[in-house]
Amino acid sequence: MALFQSENLIYYYPERESPALKDINLCIAEGEFLLVIGGSGSGKSTLARVLAGLVPDFYGGRFGGRVYYAGQDIREMDRRQLAREVGIVFQDPEKQLVMTSAEAEIAFGLENLGLPPAEMSRRVAEVLNFLDLTEVKQKFTAHLSGGQKQKLALAAVLAMQPRVLVCDEPTSQLDPVAAEEFLNLVKRLNEELGLTIILIEQRLERCFHLADRVVYMDGGQIIYEGTPAQFARWAAPREIPFIPPVTRLFASSGNGFSAIPVTVKEGRRLLRSNFNCRELPDPTPIRHDNPGVPVLLSSSRAASGKQRAVKGSTREPVLSLSKVWFAYPDGKEALQDVSVQVAAGERVAVLGANGAGKSTLLKTMAGLLKPGRGRVLVQGRDGGIAYLSQNPNDYLFQDTVEEELLFTLNNFGLADDGVVDELLAQLGLASCRRVNPRDLSGGERQRVALASILVTRPRLLLLDEPTRGMDYRLKEELGAILTAQNQRGAGVLLVTHDVEFAAAYATRVLILAAGRVVADGPKHQVLGQSLFYATQIGKMCRGYVDGVLTLPEALDRLTPVQPARQAVSV
Amino acid sequence: MFEQFFYQEKGLFLQSLHPAAVLTYLGVLLVLALIFTNPLYLLGLLLVVVLTISAARGLATWETYFRLSLGMMLLVILINPLVVHAGETIIWRGPRLPVFGPLTVSLEAIAYGAAMSVRLLTIISVFCLYNLIVHPDKVLSLLARLASRSALVLSLATRMFPAMMRQLENIREVQVMRGVNFNAGSLKERLPKYAGLINILLLSSLEDSLEIAEAMQARAFGSGRRTCYQRDAWRPRDSLCLGGSLLALALAVYGQVKGFSTFAFYPQLGYLINSPGTIIILIITLLALSIPVVLSWGWQHWPYFKARI
Amino acid sequence: MLACRKILFPLALMLILGLLLASIKINALLWGQGWGLLASVIIIIALALLYWGFEQGRVSTREVAVIAMLGTIAAVSRVPFAGLPNIQPATFMVIIAGFVFGPRAGFMVGSTAALVSNFFLGQGPWTPWQMFAWGLAGTTAGMMPFIFPRTGARVMTAFCFLWGYLFGWIMNLWTWTGFIYPLNWQSFMATYAASFGLDTLHALSNAAFYLIFGPSFVKILQRYRRKLAVTLLPAEIREKASSMTGMLF
Repeated sequence: MALFQSENLIYYYPERESPALKDINLCIAEGEFLLVIGGSGSGKSTLARVLAGLVPDFYGGRFGGRVYYAGQDIREMDRRQLAREVGIVFQDPEKQLVMTSAEAEIAFGLENLGLPPAEMSRRVAEVLNFLDLTEVKQKFTAHLSGGQKQKLALAAVLAMQPRVLVCDEPTSQLDPVAAEEFLNLVKRLNEELGLTIILIEQRLERCFHLADRVVYMDGGQIIYEGTPAQFARWAAPREIPFIPPVTRLFASSGNGFSAIPVTVKEGRRLLRSNFNCRELPDPTPIRHDNPGVPVLLSSSRAASGKQRAVKGSTREPVLSLSKVWFAYPDGKEALQDVSVQVAAGERVAVLGANGAGKSTLLKTMAGLLKPGRGRVLVQGRDGGIAYLSQNPNDYLFQDTVEEELLFTLNNFGLADDGVVDELLAQLGLASCRRVNPRDLSGGERQRVALASILVTRPRLLLLDEPTRGMDYRLKEELGAILTAQNQRGAGVLLVTHDVEFAAAYATRVLILAAGRVVADGPKHQVLGQSLFYATQIGKMCRGYVDGVLTLPEALDRLTPVQPARQAVSV
Repeated sequence: MFEQFFYQEKGLFLQSLHPAAVLTYLGVLLVLALIFTNPLYLLGLLLVVVLTISAARGLATWETYFRLSLGMMLLVILINPLVVHAGETIIWRGPRLPVFGPLTVSLEAIAYGAAMSVRLLTIISVFCLYNLIVHPDKVLSLLARLASRSALVLSLATRMFPAMMRQLENIREVQVMRGVNFNAGSLKERLPKYAGLINILLLSSLEDSLEIAEAMQARAFGSGRRTCYQRDAWRPRDSLCLGGSLLALALAVYGQVKGFSTFAFYPQLGYLINSPGTIIILIITLLALSIPVVLSWGWQHWPYFKARI
Repeated sequence: MLACRKILFPLALMLILGLLLASIKINALLWGQGWGLLASVIIIIALALLYWGFEQGRVSTREVAVIAMLGTIAAVSRVPFAGLPNIQPATFMVIIAGFVFGPRAGFMVGSTAALVSNFFLGQGPWTPWQMFAWGLAGTTAGMMPFIFPRTGARVMTAFCFLWGYLFGWIMNLWTWTGFIYPLNWQSFMATYAASFGLDTLHALSNAAFYLIFGPSFVKILQRYRRKLAVTLLPAEIREKASSMTGMLF
């Protein structure tokens, strides 16, 4: 029997003309793992909130149609009863924890349900054990790491013992390790405890294979439902980007495959029998002027060293750090003997684990932190460095988008020589010129923030995790903007956890570990050699065709075997 | 930097006390500091508090508190002799001032000022002790039983505070990179820059508060009568501390009624010890108040003791 | 019941005033030395009453969250800012919050700001007094629109200015009652004169904050306050759906 059943659901947020959801007819079975995908504003979060009983109760607005939970109309259910049945974990752990200690946080929901103290103690103890949180039981929630906070948010929901767990992009604010751990937990809940899972995710590489069924939404409607492989087959020819790269490779190169892999493991198994490796015409394809073109660099280190030397002489560095050390007041040495140069026209991606010193490096470059030892040389005048922090909301406080740009210009005493018009057009913001930036969507807000720092025409652009919580389309747009800045002659350096983005848009990759630069070189060299900082395609192709990082590169290097010769079946 | 006064878990005996017991103890210390006037009593109290602070390994923190309260102590010592003309032993005669009349400094007023600064230091030290041994969370959990909604507002704000400090710093950095120079300009020019930071913080926080409210609602907040989760266990040590505090309070009230713990400053200084009762009450009171520090010492040194209390 | 709740808050305030007056008599019973203690006890009773008022009222989840957030902002703005010692927009924030969200919320924002910031900056005997002073600033700011329905920016600037002094005066009370003897007008004047400079700075910066940012902050909060109300309407299902039965609300 269906656990959830929605009939002709339609919903408008307050003061909105177009519906956030329309004609939603969805059936979710007990114990199912459902993955909901779609771009920003596709209505997937709203759908999650309907299932959790928050829309329309919390938001208001206009609501039509019916949603049944286990045969009962959700709108007629007691709020307490629904909260016991359906739990929801949100995107940002910072905004869902309300108590001062981990233990109290877990008890919060139970207190709200009015459970007797003995029952609460038992549930709190159980869930602490299950999620391995006993050690942080007494800790101040604000002092936990991001991954621990999100785990705590999950624990707080699980203590209420729901039958359904809704997760609204739960890993978008986490680093890859914490994200992986969180999703594994969700998988365990589904497999071991039989919880029904409704997961909304942007980074599909890590969760596509977990799902029993995929629901694809666009414009507030459900466009497609099916198994992950079915969806991939349907979506690939339609240029819908919401498929992980490995799956996409198989789904988009010829329709004849009987099996579509959803993991690297399956992909590797199917790769050899389905694709032929195409040799590159030129065996030494290092082309300095065209960094976007894939290169094969498995050969010698000497070659790459030479390349860097050449690069140093032909391109003037916009910024150079030599032997920079930085220590925080508590004595932690966040940067140790770091020497980095960023040249005009380069896109450098900085990868590394949490606490490796990435943000410190960025702030040192921006001049926000003064190095303890070493030199930071910057070319150019005031406003020559633009800095985009993790949270675009830190930028927005003027009444209109235009004023945000003018604010920066005025501060630097620059005149508007048409740069505002140019940027607004370039970043696709021309239509919201007079709109309050706080009324814009997340992706637009980031572009406004970006525009507000690009008005000075900086020589160097520094970005701190710009792809956090963004969908494929927004990432593509951002990549295009960065490339355009690059062509204008600016150097770009971004700190990221997103290896796929780095592989697609960077020219050079730098890996930091414990405050030291442990790898620095062209992206194919660094990412191709790394086991952990590798793209999904890279992981799949390793050992078969080396030096392949992204889907277009893979399509370029691999030719599908004729469908007739295929023998593999699911 | 802003967290230097925030509670730090050190696994101490004193930190393991039940919030009700420890708050009663600290409350009694405060009440006694406010009613005692006999300098001997005030100094004795200060001694007990400082000993307890050292048992809580907080002498370094206490130094900071001491330095902070110096200014106020000085003010108290200065104002008392200058404005009070009740003392008879005049040691210095100054000119006539318009509001305050003739400027005379008496020995009595100086003594009173000094005693009051000891009182001030004692009170501030009690709060220093509070910061060292009471986790905010414990107070909030105690408050939650009495006033759950207010406790929730307080714990939410406490939990958000560090994050918001960080956010304010991020906003400041962003503004610096957008060309705002916080160190330049007159006061009048700097004020708007500062308020701009608060403006951004306000806009973002209001948006965030909606998400927090939503998360709370999703966890059934406001869906009916709440119950209260109890985390703190009551141990024999709590009964001992509570008993000691109440005994000290009773003795102090008795001493106050009988005049043992009071001291006449004006018009002439009285006797510090006017009867054997003064000494007896003082010693018993101080002993009763020393129960936590004695227990703490025993707890550290005898494993056997640990298991019993 | 509702009417009863409405008068609770003023009742609590009246009670506090009554207690203050009565304490003059009670003090004689406390051997003339208990002023400091008495004053603290009165303040704590006052706080308890005001908190109780907040517990009794109807408050939605959104309001709880926004009160906590505003309290945190006011608390954060107490932390000394580089280059601007002694200038804190905390009082200004509390007044704005009270002005827009009403006396009860104003009290909670103010007292929360004091208590929570002191968890990090250090609790002291000043904590209950600060909670009371800021709480009262928020409460009175919340009453302004009721007393003067046409309160404009000019009146509120003056109000902020006044609270700069009032805050200092309330804070002085505990120094004066606790550590000065005898409590006469000379010693009172001396204590107040000692803090006059700082209070003036506080008052001036409050007024300046309101003058420059008051109206825009009030606008932001008012805009947000409208979002606190949730209205739910049925949606018309479009033509093909509306033919089905049982679909329309």
